[in-house]
Parts: sequence; structure tokens; C-alpha cells
Amino acid sequence: MRPTLRGGGNTMSQARAVLSVSGRHKLFSVAALAGLLALAASMVPAGVSTASPALGHIGGSVSLWAEWTGPEQRDFQAVLSPFESETGVTINYSSKGSNMDTAIDAAVAGGAPPQVALVPDPGTLLTLAKKGAIEPLAPVIGSEASDYGAAWNNLVTYNGKLYGVWFKGANKNTIWYNPAEFAMAGLKSTPTTWQQLLADAATLKRAGVTPFSLCTDIGWPVADLWQNVYLKTAGATDYDALAAHNIPWTGPTVTTAFDTLAQLVGQPSYLLGGTKGSLSNSYPTCADKVFPKPGTMPQAAMVIEADFVVNEIVGNSANYTAGTIGAGGKKCTANPADTPCYDFFPFPAPAADQMNNSAIQGSGDVAMLFKPTAAAKAVVKYLGSPEAGAIWAHLGGFASPNKMVPLTSYPDPVTEADASELQHATGFVFSLDDLQGSWEPSLWQDMLNFVKNPSATNIASIQKTMQAQATAAMGH
Amino acid sequence: MAVVAVDQQHGPARRSARRQGQHHLQSLVFLVPGAVLLLAIVIWPAIATIRYSFYNATATKAVGLSNYKSLFSTADTLIAFRNNVIWVLVFPFIVTVIGLVFAVLSEHIRWATAFKIVIFLPIVFSVTASSLVFTQIFQLDPHVGVMNAIVQTVEDYFHPPGAYPLSAGQTAASLATSGVVAGPNGTLESGLEVRAGGTVRMGLTGVNPDTLTVLGARPARLPTPSAGAVTGLVWRDFSVSNPSNVSGVLPGEDGFPNLHLALLRSDGSIAATTTTDAFGRFIFSNVGAGPFHIQIQASNFTQGFSGTFWLGPQSLTPTSSLSQTAQALLSVPLIDISMILAYLWIWAGFTMVIVAAGLAALDREAQEAAHVDGATEWQTFRRVTIPMLAPVLTVVFVTMVINVLKIFDIVVNLGIDTSQPGGQSSTLASDVYYLGFGGGVHTGLASALAVMLFILVLPAMLFNLKRISGK
Repeated sequence: MRPTLRGGGNTMSQARAVLSVSGRHKLFSVAALAGLLALAASMVPAGVSTASPALGHIGGSVSLWAEWTGPEQRDFQAVLSPFESETGVTINYSSKGSNMDTAIDAAVAGGAPPQVALVPDPGTLLTLAKKGAIEPLAPVIGSEASDYGAAWNNLVTYNGKLYGVWFKGANKNTIWYNPAEFAMAGLKSTPTTWQQLLADAATLKRAGVTPFSLCTDIGWPVADLWQNVYLKTAGATDYDALAAHNIPWTGPTVTTAFDTLAQLVGQPSYLLGGTKGSLSNSYPTCADKVFPKPGTMPQAAMVIEADFVVNEIVGNSANYTAGTIGAGGKKCTANPADTPCYDFFPFPAPAADQMNNSAIQGSGDVAMLFKPTAAAKAVVKYLGSPEAGAIWAHLGGFASPNKMVPLTSYPDPVTEADASELQHATGFVFSLDDLQGSWEPSLWQDMLNFVKNPSATNIASIQKTMQAQATAAMGH
Repeated sequence: MAVVAVDQQHGPARRSARRQGQHHLQSLVFLVPGAVLLLAIVIWPAIATIRYSFYNATATKAVGLSNYKSLFSTADTLIAFRNNVIWVLVFPFIVTVIGLVFAVLSEHIRWATAFKIVIFLPIVFSVTASSLVFTQIFQLDPHVGVMNAIVQTVEDYFHPPGAYPLSAGQTAASLATSGVVAGPNGTLESGLEVRAGGTVRMGLTGVNPDTLTVLGARPARLPTPSAGAVTGLVWRDFSVSNPSNVSGVLPGEDGFPNLHLALLRSDGSIAATTTTDAFGRFIFSNVGAGPFHIQIQASNFTQGFSGTFWLGPQSLTPTSSLSQTAQALLSVPLIDISMILAYLWIWAGFTMVIVAAGLAALDREAQEAAHVDGATEWQTFRRVTIPMLAPVLTVVFVTMVINVLKIFDIVVNLGIDTSQPGGQSSTLASDVYYLGFGGGVHTGLASALAVMLFILVLPAMLFNLKRISGK
């Protein structure tokens, strides 16, 4: 997903986050800084006592742009500070929020790009690589490129040269559930196949628990959901082919994905508020209905969203514990005022398509180098190092695609499982809708149209519409 | 310029040409800073915008009139036009009327100043702050959103919800699990016939255990059969330790308390009614021979009002054989109406103050004369006050037309998701912003839209200028 065009909910929650942080900031800034420095120094895992042993004193300064604001900016700066004290490099961090792409485009056009930038979208990176605006990274990071899975490196390779280093990953291959609601229906394990997911939904329904809170008031969450199903039924190769429109939207794999998802969205009683209610359920409210603030009870058992939903959950109450055992070893409770929990399971592939289980849809922030000064190169190398990832991993709300970031760095088993998925993905795909150019909004409308009426005849007509729209927009 | 004009009118006729020239120079010097600013931040950008409107998305290549053509041919901008039309048709008229009513009312009440301050207050808040307040007011959950709380109070009075309201998409029939079948009109019935002295077991699922806890449910317990009476049990036939067992009453399964039941004769008429106790038990005493069925009445499952999504996707859409595009262009989205309500709250105080100032400046003799001639209060208001106020009302109306033609802030703040280009509540101004500065930038189209907007505002603006200078 591209944060620029999407998700008002996102913007609002970011705004809230910023507000709350700036409120606290004054009181705690000094303490927080001191604490973070201490934390960064003390919590780096054994054997990694300094920021990066290879780096000595370098000096100078580096301008660095990324999208993080608020608490994320604070965490990112905690990552940077050991590097700064180690090398004497001053990093001038500047947050561009959700306007990262626009800001970079403008800066490159104006001839004054930052020295290093992290973008949330490999498309931007490839465009810049094509223009020759950024530097190939092989001489900078060398063999450490192999710390990332091939699926990750392929996304940022242009003309056989690597142009990006992944720093932060986001996993969309997740279904978040409230363990207390599962317990209410006597479900003892999480589903590993699509069929089991539907069977568990039926059991939940019989127990009087609404299975799903879908975030489908606007098109992009439906597109993300559909893309998960397409990836799991057709596989990563077909996914990329469809993204480039080398497979027609009227093709059988597309029909299969729609039919499969219709087994879920075609059951209004499985959806919180039914079909009509789902169409007014916005992010992050949809997550709040599964993981509410104290004072209200959960209204559904599962929300199908990316791993960034955790920020919303723990933001609703500090009581929420990751995993299936509540705080203090107590039973997970539905009541968020007691000992509520949250956990996820990977988006399951149908029984017949289990080979697609480790292909995942996600997004991430990738670092790129505009100006190869010694200091800037050192920053990029540092961002690609396991030490940098481990610092943020400790602070939470972060998953690194770097295989060398020890899984023990993560603060809880849930984040650890999430990061492990990212590191071991055999196929990794970005949002298909973001690659569709001008017809993306039409695609979202088509997806909403599908949720409104997931019948076979409507699916067929939607596929025809999408094929026409894709052909018109993509020229083939 | 004003200085010069005054001099020409009142200055001594025999002033020398030299002095006149000095004055011109002097006024020019005073004009320069303002003129430079005007040139730099109004005129030059305006000309640049007009120029860009003939360029492509990245403002690198001239494309002639193609931006203007796509303004009238793409569905996205047509939706924005539609929303502007709705705003212009609805808002200025209502806000002028409300301003008039408040202004007249404030002349007739005590504490008029306090009243005016309260009504005027919203105009001093930033629209963003007001929008945040209204986002809460329009929340779907009636516990949060005041609008829905009001609707819910009224709705629940006329249609009280049952003790076991169905969730959306759920049918009463889907609750039937053991010994129960679906009856007519959303009722449930016992699967088997029962006679006096007999006992019926009816198992239901699909009801949340919390619902039962709130109703004071106790573990299900079978009633003791009693001669001449029909007894029975309605319980939640779902065991956490054994989710697939759906026949017997297992430990941990609760009764359904306070469920309204009817005893049906074989012809379907009702012989008696009762309600279950905390254990889910019921008894119909002295029932006669039978045979009977037990009916669980539909009223138990009536859903309460769950809220209207004021900022949601609903709209008044013409249901005809029109094309999808035509339907979209002719529909009136609820979110537009909600935004107009919020904007009325913001602007009503402003129009009230302007109209009140107009009222205060009126010559009261005409009204008094009308009273003396025997006109009623309403007749005086309608035939004397309003015609005399007409110039003020026109200025207020036209100002508000200009105001909503370029409506932006409330649209973007209240409709974060729906004000994107092509979104249900997008307007010309929001399209200019998102196309010009949001993602997927199209400088040419955004500039063309801005020029279009300027052309639309122009007549109203000229009208107002003429009115003001005419006075």
C-alpha cells in the first residue's frame, strides 16, 4: 500500500500518535534520550557490544530522509545514536511522513536529494536507479547482501546491480485473533489451511462469536485481502505476472481467487455487521473491535490485517500481552481490563496449495544511497547490519528482513514469529494494486463491488470490467 | 488610488500641476510594497496556474486543451462537480435562512447577547477542530456518536430490541441446533409434538455466552415433569470442551433466561404464553390434551438500532435503468449532508451577526406603520422586514455561494477517505489539492481545475463587488 493515497484511518492514527508523543515529549525527552542510549548500549545482544566493529572515526555529517514520525522516529533515532557516537558522524534526520515519494521526486528534480533515504516502495527505488540518481551498493555492503533472502534483494536489483538495503519489513500475511474469543469456542489451535479457517469460523459462529471484523469501508484493504488469497492460490510467479498484466484478469487463477474469497465474504453472518456493516468498518476501528480499549468487549474474533496492527492493539491498552497466555501467567480474558492477549497466525493457503504457504505479501523500507561520501556509505552499511536491526527489534513494533538479526532480539514470541516469517519467505511480493498505475482506484472500486455482491455472476462481470480497465491503463 | 480620488473631489481647484504630480509620485511610493506583494503572491501564481493548465502531468510538455477536455469527461471530476452543485444548492440558502431566523429571534429574547455569543462561537474555532468534534458526533457506535444516540433513543422507544438480538447477517433459523426447527416469520418451534405431562428440550447456538451472563443465566437444568403441564428447557447447546457435541445437556452449558415462549395448538393458534427462568426452564400448567408445539417468539431476536454511518458510503441513488455513471452523478451521498450539517453549525453564527447588523440599521418606522395598520407580526416580517433586508440577505447569500464553491477544509477533514479524487465527497477544491500535491500528482489537471473553479467563482465575486461599490 502507498500511504500517500490511502487509509484515512492511518493518517488519523499517525496524527494521534504524533500528538500523544509531542505531549509527552517535553516531560520525558531528557529522560527518554538518556534511557534510550542506555538501552541501546545494554540491550544489544551478547557478542555485539559495539555498533559496528569495522567502523572507526569518520566524522562529517549525513542527511537522511525516511517516513517515520512520532514514536517510530524516536525508535529510529535510537538506532542511529550508537552509530553517531561510534563514528562521530552527525546524521541530520528529516521525516517526510507519508509524502516520501513526492519529496524524493521533488528533491531529485531540484538537484538536492538527501545523501541517504529510506523509501517504503521499491518502485520508487527502481525508477531512481533507472535515472542514475542513486548508487549501486555492491561496493558498499559487499557480501552482507546475502544476509537478505533472494526474494528481498531481487526487488531492489536493477540491471543486475543491487541498489537497496532493506531495513524494516512489514508482513501482510497475518490474521490477528483474540485468543480469549477462540477459547470461548473451544478452539485449541489456529487454522493452517483455508478450509480449516472456514470451519473454525463456523464453530465460532455457533459459539455466538462473530468470526471476522473486516476492514472494508474502502477498497485498498479488500485489495490487500484479495491479493493474499491470490498469492496463496496462484503462487508468487503468477502474482507477479498478473501485476504486470501478463495474465488476463479474466483468467482462471483470478476466478479461483475470487471464488475462494467469496467463501468468506459471501457469509454475511461471519462478518461483524454483516455485509453492510463491513462496508462501513474502517481501519483501525476494525482492529479495535477485536482488541478493544478497556470499557468495551470484543465484538469479533479475528481481523485480517498486516503486522502494523500491533501498534493499534497495544495502543488501546497496555494490558494486551503477545501470545496465548495473559499477563502474570493468567488465562487470556476477553475483557481488556483484565489480562487480554493478542496473537496471529499466517494467512493460510487452501489445502491443495500448501506449497504457496511461505510466499508472503508485505512491504518494507529500503535504504538507498544518493551521494557516496565515506560517511553516507557507512550509514547505509550500518543500516544493513544486524546490529542496527537488533536495536529497533528490542524496542518493539519492528521486524527486520535481515536474516542475521537474531530472533532473540524481539521482545515477545509473537513479533519473533512475525519476523521469522519475513526472513524465511521464499516468495515476497508487494501490493499488486500499487503497481497498477492510473487504474488503481478503479481496482479498489471493483473490489468493493465484489464485497457487496460476491455471487458467481457478479465475479464474472467484475473480471471483465477489470480486464478492460487494466488493458486501457497498461496498454496491453 | 483612494487618496487621489479624495483629493480630486475636495482639493482646491487651483492646485498646481506640480503638486498634483508630487501627489501621484507619493501615492505610487506607498502603493509599491502592496503591489509587489500582490504581484508575487497573487498575480504571478495565477498566471503560472493558467499556463500550467495547458501542460501535462509533470508540467514539462504543452498539451493544449486536453486537460480541460478531461475535466468534463472523467468521472472523477464530474463527481467533484456534482458535490459542488449539492453544496451550492443546499448550503447558502439554509445558512441564510438560519441566520435570519436567529437574528430576528435574538431581537425578541432576553439574554440576546449571550445567545448570540453561543451561536457565534463555532466560527472562532478552526474548521479542523470543529471537524474532529463532528467526527465524534457522527460516530457509528451510539455510545460514542451523539447523532446515533439520538436516533437510537427514538428508534428503541418504538421498536424495543429483544433480549437476544440477532447480529447482522444472522437469522433466527441459524440458531436452531437440537430439537428446534425454523417456524414462520422469524420464530423457532420445537421439532416434536408434546402433550400434557411431557417435557421438551430445545437447544440453540449462535448466542454469545456474555449475552447470557448479562441476563443472569445459570447452568441449564431439566425441569421436573408435571402432570397436566407441558415443561421444557431452552439452553445454549454449545460446549467449549466438546464443540461438536450437539445433543445432550453437557456441563458448562447455560439456560436461556427470559425467553418469550408460546404454546401452539395443532391449528397454529396460541394456547398460552410464558417466559423461561434463569436455568432456561419453562412450564405451561393445565394445558388440556394437546398435542402442542412450543414456539420461541420472534420478538426475542429483534435487533436494536445499531447506528447509521453518517460519514459512510450510503447515498440517495436514483434506482432506474440509468448507466452507472449517470447514477453516480445524480446521487446525493449522506456524507455530503452530514458535512453540510456540520458546516451550518460553523457558519450560522456568522450569517446571524451580519443579518442582525442589517436589522439594527433598519428604519423602524415602516414596521411600526405596518403594525398601526393592523398587520400581524408574521405579515410585517414577511412583507416589510424581509424586503427591506433583501440587500443584506443577498450579500450574505452570495458570500456563502463563494464560500462553498471553494469548499475544502471540512471536506478534507471530515471525509479523509472519501475526499480523494473520485471519492464520494470530493469537491473541486479538494481535487485541486490532491491532484496538485497529493500522491499521483497531475499538475496540469490540477491547474485546469483551479482555473475552472476561478471561473465559477467569478460571477458571484463580481456581483458582490458591484453591490459593495454601488453603495
